[in-house]
Amino acid sequence: MLETIVFYAFAAILLGAALRVITARNPVHAALALVLAFFTAAGIWLLLRAEFLAITLLLVYVGAVMVLFLFVVMMLDVNLERLREGFWKNLPMAVVVGGIMAFELVAMLASRHFGSATSTRVVPAGYSNTRELGRVLYTQYVYAFEIAAVILLVAIIAAIALTLRRRKDTKALDPALQLAARREERVRLVSMPAETER
Amino acid sequence: MLAEYFPILLFILVGLAIGVAPMLLGRLLGPNRPDPEKLSPYECGFEAFEDARMKFDVRYYLVAILFILFDLEIAFLFPWAVALNDIGMAGFLAMMLFLGILVVGFAYEWAKGALEWE
Amino acid sequence: MSLAQLLSHLRALPEMVLLAGACALMLVDLASKSETRRLSYLFAQGVLLIAFCATLFVLSESEGKRYYIFYGLFVSDLLSHVLKLFAFITVSAVLVYARPYLHERGLLKGEFLTLLLFALLGILVMISANSFLSLYLGLELLTLCLYALVALNRDSAASTEAAMKYFVLGALASGLLLYGMSMIYGATGSLLFTDIGPQTAALAASSSSMRTLLVFGLVFVVAGIAFKLGAVPFHMWIPDVYHGASTAVTLVIGTAPKLAAFAMALRLLVNGLPALAVDWQQMLVVLAVLSMALGNLAAIAQSNLKRMLAYSTISHMGFMLLGLLSGVVGGNRLNAVDAYGAAMFYTAVYVLMSLGAFGVLLLASRQGAECERLEDMKGMNRRDPWLAFLMLLMMFSLAGIPPMAGFYAKFAVISAVVQAGQLWLAVAAVAFSLVGAFYYLRVVKLMYFDDPAGVAVPAGGGSARWLLSVNGLALLALGLLPQGLMALCQAAIRSL
Repeated sequence: MLETIVFYAFAAILLGAALRVITARNPVHAALALVLAFFTAAGIWLLLRAEFLAITLLLVYVGAVMVLFLFVVMMLDVNLERLREGFWKNLPMAVVVGGIMAFELVAMLASRHFGSATSTRVVPAGYSNTRELGRVLYTQYVYAFEIAAVILLVAIIAAIALTLRRRKDTKALDPALQLAARREERVRLVSMPAETER
Repeated sequence: MLAEYFPILLFILVGLAIGVAPMLLGRLLGPNRPDPEKLSPYECGFEAFEDARMKFDVRYYLVAILFILFDLEIAFLFPWAVALNDIGMAGFLAMMLFLGILVVGFAYEWAKGALEWE
Repeated sequence: MSLAQLLSHLRALPEMVLLAGACALMLVDLASKSETRRLSYLFAQGVLLIAFCATLFVLSESEGKRYYIFYGLFVSDLLSHVLKLFAFITVSAVLVYARPYLHERGLLKGEFLTLLLFALLGILVMISANSFLSLYLGLELLTLCLYALVALNRDSAASTEAAMKYFVLGALASGLLLYGMSMIYGATGSLLFTDIGPQTAALAASSSSMRTLLVFGLVFVVAGIAFKLGAVPFHMWIPDVYHGASTAVTLVIGTAPKLAAFAMALRLLVNGLPALAVDWQQMLVVLAVLSMALGNLAAIAQSNLKRMLAYSTISHMGFMLLGLLSGVVGGNRLNAVDAYGAAMFYTAVYVLMSLGAFGVLLLASRQGAECERLEDMKGMNRRDPWLAFLMLLMMFSLAGIPPMAGFYAKFAVISAVVQAGQLWLAVAAVAFSLVGAFYYLRVVKLMYFDDPAGVAVPAGGGSARWLLSVNGLALLALGLLPQGLMALCQAAIRSL
């Protein structure tokens, strides 16, 4: 009972947030609404007992990918007024696409095959799909797992090689260099003959 | 099993209530007489010169990408931690190799100066 | 896990050596401050040498048998050893050719070396893949490195644009490939080629709806393979990327990854889906004919040498597909060793030719003056007779003129097609290679019969020149005595 209430609450929030993503005037607001949508979607996955997916969605998408989205939004100089020009011009096409999607959804939900797809398998007590995943990921698929590490490593190298630039015009100070300075490098003692008065 | 998550749900609800309640109270109990001039943005008495938003430096991008990569690494740690009892020494060493490869990447980015902010 | 089981994983020794070496190279390069990257360069060559020896060790130890390790994700057979040896030699030569060019332009960064080694690791993973998963991950590792290599020259707008196109289209192709794999996985319930092979045979025979699903998956898988090979109509990225990337990176893309693409096609189609050979052979016929036609015709219209060689790649991949599509005739595999062996021979010789042709371009490029337009070839004979002669060897070989290796490669593939009974395909192949001969010979004409356009500067020397000579003469030698390499290729195919 409580599960159903929670599901509908999450679903309502999810739909509202998703609607906000496409209607928000400000792209930053849209990105924040997307964060909320991801968050509630993670809640719904938790209800489906897909804990690992839920935690990954939170950790990777909300935690990292959305941060990147926000950076990109902030980095680009988006002209909001220009972006909104011709927004309603696409309405007929959008109505057609939306109509077909709605029709497909209804057709799928109304078909008699839909109900039979839900699993009736009994899950043993203490079953955790995160653990099941872990059992195979680090044994049976260990080779693929290590290649994934190498791919992440290549991503690190590529990101650094493509975006890291040394700036010549910064006035930043390096304290380590300052501390390493010695007297001999800064001060030159010159011995000059004393000037004698005649 | 879902019952285990009930405290978290409760926590979220209480947290939300604590956040929303003061704003709601202020709105309900305080005086609220807006007019267009009060609501308009101002800048030391002038009209606003430009948008408050400014372009971020591209260097943030590198930080964000590096963050995502190590975040993904953490996502791999969860099932490993849960299943560690079942997978034994081989699974433990597999993760150590995984972490080792990424530590090389970390050492590289550190030495390369990608973490510095001039 | 017993000790013997643990030791069996040493069959992946070349990969382990390369991974450790590439990681070490990253750290070694941090310490090197010199512009020439002498230490890093020698280190990379050393890693390649050790990995080469490791492959020889695994090869001699395996005694011609096939082994599966890492729960079947990794296969170690003669084919994988031979292709890996080719790949090491190719990448080592790429390093030698590319170094002076990159150094003159200030592009010789440590990242070039490390990314190249990681790309090679991806190639090795693909060559030894026995599962959709390892194949796909190897492919991603390879292409991720290649995207970064193309974009590495980041102050050049052309390179950045090429990298962008390559990345977007490559992501699309990966999506197609994954979609196809997921359908086949859905039908068979396994990711391992050794399971999928017998499973698909049973499924395809049992019900027509299953067969439809499998063929749908196959279509997407073939599209993914065609993209990676650069076969028409999935060739759009090749000219732009070859043209936009700096010539050294074009050399990287045009050589070793072709070995990986060949291995990928062989593993997916011949190892994984032999039961659907009738279906994929028909698809490959279309790809091969279109590639040969468009590649050869479009190359004539190019004024840029790199673009011309890009279209020539497309046509050569079409030729290579001819070998792959004539292995199974009427359900029996009698022709398989000849046909797939010819395709493998073709790939190896093509890599050698492409290595030489781009090597000449790199050597002929001087500081500030790229050698990449057709006019730059004018009067090459007067400037540098030996380099012009080497280019002549490459062009003759690419055109398929006897006694060069390119001729024998084309001959072997076409005779496999004739044996498979597809006479019209053989006639088409001969006709298109005659068309192709025109633009290769045009380069030779420019070099020997036209006057030099600019000031005559002799090309650079050093180890690159020596290796290029060996490369050109090897093509001549392989053309005269092809039996050794052909026997090796056929033995490798038999181990499949």
